[in-house]
This record gives sequence, structure tokens and C-alpha cells, in this order.
Amino acid sequence: MKKNLILSITALVLLSGCAQKAPNLSGDVSDATGYGDESVNMNDGNGITSSPNGAMIDGRYNSSSDGFQSIYFSFGKYNVESDMYNYISKNANNIENIGSGAIKIEGNCDEFGTDEYNYALGLKRAKAVKEALVSKGIGEDKFILVSLGESSPVCSEPTEVCYSRNRRVDLRVAR
Amino acid sequence: MKKFLMFLFVSSFIFGADAKFSIEKGGDARKSVAIIEANDSLNQFRGDSFYSILLADMKISGHFIPSKKKLSGDFHSSVIPADLKSYQYILKYKVTNESGLSLYVALYNSSNGNVVFKKSYSMNVASKYPFLAHKAISDINDALNLETIEWINRYVIFSRYTAPRKSEIVLADYTLNYQKTIIQGGLNLFPKWGDKDQQSFYYTSFSGKLPTLYRLNIYTGKKDMIATSPGMLVCSDVSKNSEKILATMAPEGQPDIYEINVMNGAKKRITDFGGIDVGGRYVDDESRVVFVSNRLGYANIFKQSLSGSSVVPLISRGKNNNQCDAFEDKIVYASRETSSASSGNTFNLYLANSNGGNIYPLTGSGENQYPRFSTDGKVILFVKNSNNSSQIGYINLETKQSELFSLSGKKVQSIDW
Repeated sequence: MKKNLILSITALVLLSGCAQKAPNLSGDVSDATGYGDESVNMNDGNGITSSPNGAMIDGRYNSSSDGFQSIYFSFGKYNVESDMYNYISKNANNIENIGSGAIKIEGNCDEFGTDEYNYALGLKRAKAVKEALVSKGIGEDKFILVSLGESSPVCSEPTEVCYSRNRRVDLRVAR
Repeated sequence: MKKFLMFLFVSSFIFGADAKFSIEKGGDARKSVAIIEANDSLNQFRGDSFYSILLADMKISGHFIPSKKKLSGDFHSSVIPADLKSYQYILKYKVTNESGLSLYVALYNSSNGNVVFKKSYSMNVASKYPFLAHKAISDINDALNLETIEWINRYVIFSRYTAPRKSEIVLADYTLNYQKTIIQGGLNLFPKWGDKDQQSFYYTSFSGKLPTLYRLNIYTGKKDMIATSPGMLVCSDVSKNSEKILATMAPEGQPDIYEINVMNGAKKRITDFGGIDVGGRYVDDESRVVFVSNRLGYANIFKQSLSGSSVVPLISRGKNNNQCDAFEDKIVYASRETSSASSGNTFNLYLANSNGGNIYPLTGSGENQYPRFSTDGKVILFVKNSNNSSQIGYINLETKQSELFSLSGKKVQSIDW
């Protein structure tokens, strides 16, 4: 590098070709307009306050709160499968016990989905759980649906067990 | 310097192992340029940082063959070294701290010694120095009457997760040497530029009970609430006059494409399907939209008139085409080509016309997603994910150059430029 630098400088001094007019840049100054400082630097919210941990309770994983049980889904699917029906019934009973107040249904996905499609998949899962609960006699206007896509994983290990725990719907009392 | 070390410049021949494009032999019209840094250039910019950005700009343009090593010399010398006569042009540059930060550039025609272009640039925000380099190279490009590369001057904006239910929105130059977090705290996603001048952008906030779409001016801080929706709400595209947007909304829990007039708040439902419709993009002079839907049982790209209801499938190949972008009568889409539930999948990018014809592969391996056309439709930005980190790549469709820039650590959620 040093050798190259010396060679370059030597070349500039000794091996010159025809002389050129040196650039005179005065009077030709351009402000790089449009690159002023962006004034924005904001803190927009504290996120969703409830932070599920998805711990195993009574032999099954659960990241819901307020007495609800999370509903899990197969890869890329948004239909409630038969092994989840008991949990739907349990959640319907829990809503009746809680009484008044809205219930938030949060749809979640694993990390393999992409962009908007993953958020839509999470929403379809939330909607499927809502419809299953409505079929148990709960009023439609009881629920607030939101998709969290892949933004709210309960675990991050690169295993199928972990990924399947993230393909879920959580329920909790809306606050 | 530390920041610069985080910047990984991968030249096109390395990326060539993945990208489908390569430089064709013969008939190379690129201009050879020797780059000389002034001996008295500002110390903190001596070395590779400024030089590497100039080099990246020249390479991705596809219009230049820059010298392989950085040279040093006297900026004001009137002499062109004989050993540089083999180059068509000599570019000299000097960085100073006048007026905040200034860049002086001069381009010589090495055959006759004439000064072809000379200019100086200044800005009062030194951290934005990459934009000085980009502006200089795009001006030199224009001075030589080459096809515009104005896109290198634009901001890239992206969101990335920082923790479960937490994210940040970041502004950057296209090489990622400049990065500034502008929204932090909470869950704020899907940034999308709201106007061609990049004064404001849309994003979805989850800080309330329902997803809410805001438009934020990055210079004044003015924040407008545009819409709120149960379930999900994403701004997918913005009309050329910035007066309308395409959004994925779910007022009844059902994700469909809507057009929102941001001037008067009017909402028009475009698609009506019981499954998933997302990612609407204007095509065909904004008379139609292309979007992703699972109406055939798997994610694919469809087209519908803004004034009608008939839906046409566009892509006949692939069983999971789950992202797309559009520019006039072209589309680019991402296709998931494996279906593993327990490991990373292969995603490749394809170019097609807005009728689904002339499908052309752009990548050949890896996890390539989030394709976005440049404002002139000539370059495609995309995100390459691996091992919980991301790289941002560019494919120049005209010159067939491609570059990747590393984004340390966190995975990109969504991106626009």
C-alpha cells in the first residue's frame, strides 16, 4: 500500500503528461439540498403491554392470560383443528365467567411467513378463533381482533417445537 | 471508522454466485475512472470510508469501471500522471470541514486533460456524508450524459424488530453507511414513503387497542392519523400524486385491499374475498391493482381493475408467490420455493410484465424477499435474510449490476425507498 502510494505520488510529480488547468471550485458550490437534518426522533408507544411467555402449565403450553388457553395452528394454516376444540369450549366458559368487558384475540405466526401475508395469516387465525367462540354462543361484538404477525414470538430456538408454539392465538381481557 | 467496519461491501462477482445477472463480455461501454483522494482530505474521511462509497456508487450504476485501488495525490495539481492515461477519466476528490462538511470533486478527461466536471458540495450534518458522495457521482453520471442514477440519492426506510413486540423504524442511505433511528419504542411497522420527495412516510402503530395508520413528516415531525382498523392495517402503495393509497384493512376481521383517499378520508373496498388479500400495488397507469391472494388455495399474484370486480391470476408457476411490487407495466415478485416448517426456506425473485408474461428469474438461491422497484423502475431493492440478520441488495435491471450491503444484527420487517 505504502509502496503504491509512493509510486503514485512519484508518478504525479515526475511522470507527468501534458499540464492541465487545475480545477477552481470557488463560485461553484452546491448545497446538497434535501439532506437537511430530519427532525424526527420519536418514541411512539410502549408496545403491547402484556408480554406472553408461553410457559407450560398443566402439561400444555399457554401464552394467554386471564384464565384463557392459547389455540395452536399447523404450519401455514388458519383453521381450528379438532384437538383444539376442548380449549375453545374452555375459553367460551371463561368469557361467561368474566362477564362484561371486551376480549382481545391476538393472532400470531412463526418467523417463516413474510411481510403483509404473515399479518393476514395471523388475523385469519384470530378470526377463526372468534368464529369458533361465536358458535359457542358468545356475542360477536365481544371481541377485538388484532394480528401481531411474527412480532410476538414466545420462543426463538430453531426447533419445530418452538416454531409451533409461535403459530397461535392468544386471548386476554382488553385493557 | 467503527461504523464503517460494520459495512460489508460485497462486489458483484461474489454476489454473482446468487444473482442471475452477470456482466456480459464484449461491447463494454463503461467508462474507466481512476479515483484519487486528496492528500489533505479531512483526516476522519481518509482511508476507505468515503472512497468505498464512491466505488459502490460507480459500480452499481453499471456505467463506470473504477480503479481497483485508491490513489492519493494533490487535489490542486495540474498534472495527470502518465501511468493513469490508460483510464478514460481521472476523478479527484477532497473532503473538508468547511460549512459543516464539504466535498470537492473534479473529473478530468485523461486523453486531453480537460476538466469535464467540477463541483463542490456542502452540508451541515456531517453524519450524512454518504449522501455527498452519492450526489457527486450522480452529477458526474449526468454530466457524461449517461442514463440517470438518481435513485442512489434516495433514502431507504425500514422497520426491524428489536425484541418481542418491539421494533424501530430507521432511515438510511442505500449503502447503509448512514443510519438513523427515527421511531423507537413500541411496535411500529410497515414504513412506506408517502410522496416522491420523501418528506413523509406512512407506518402502522400498535400502541393503541387497534392498528392505526399514521403519516409522519420527517422534517417537521407533523403526524397525521389516517385510519384505524381492527385486525390489521398496512399502507401498501401510494398513488403518483400522493392523494390516494392502497391499504390492507380488515374492518370486519377480513383482510382485503382498500383504496383510501387521504385528502378526504374516503375508503373504497377493492377486493372482497373470504381468504387473504394483501399487498396491493397500482399498475397500468393506476387503473388496476396487483395483489397477493390465497384464493386458489395458495399465495399467488392476482390483478383486478380498480373499477371492476373480476380477478385474474397472473403467475402460472410456483405455489407460494407471497410478495410483489409493481412499476408501470412490470411486476417483481418473491416466490417461496421450499416449504419447511422447521428451517429457513428458499425465496427467489422473479421479474414479469403486468400480465404475468416474460417471467425472468433474478435470484437463484437463498432467502430473497421484499422486492421494491426504484422510483424509475430500473433497479430492484430486496432483502436477503439469513441466520436472523439481513442484507439489503440491489439489482440494476439495465446494467445487470448487483450489490449487497450488510445490516448488522436485526432482521428487517419491511422496507421501502
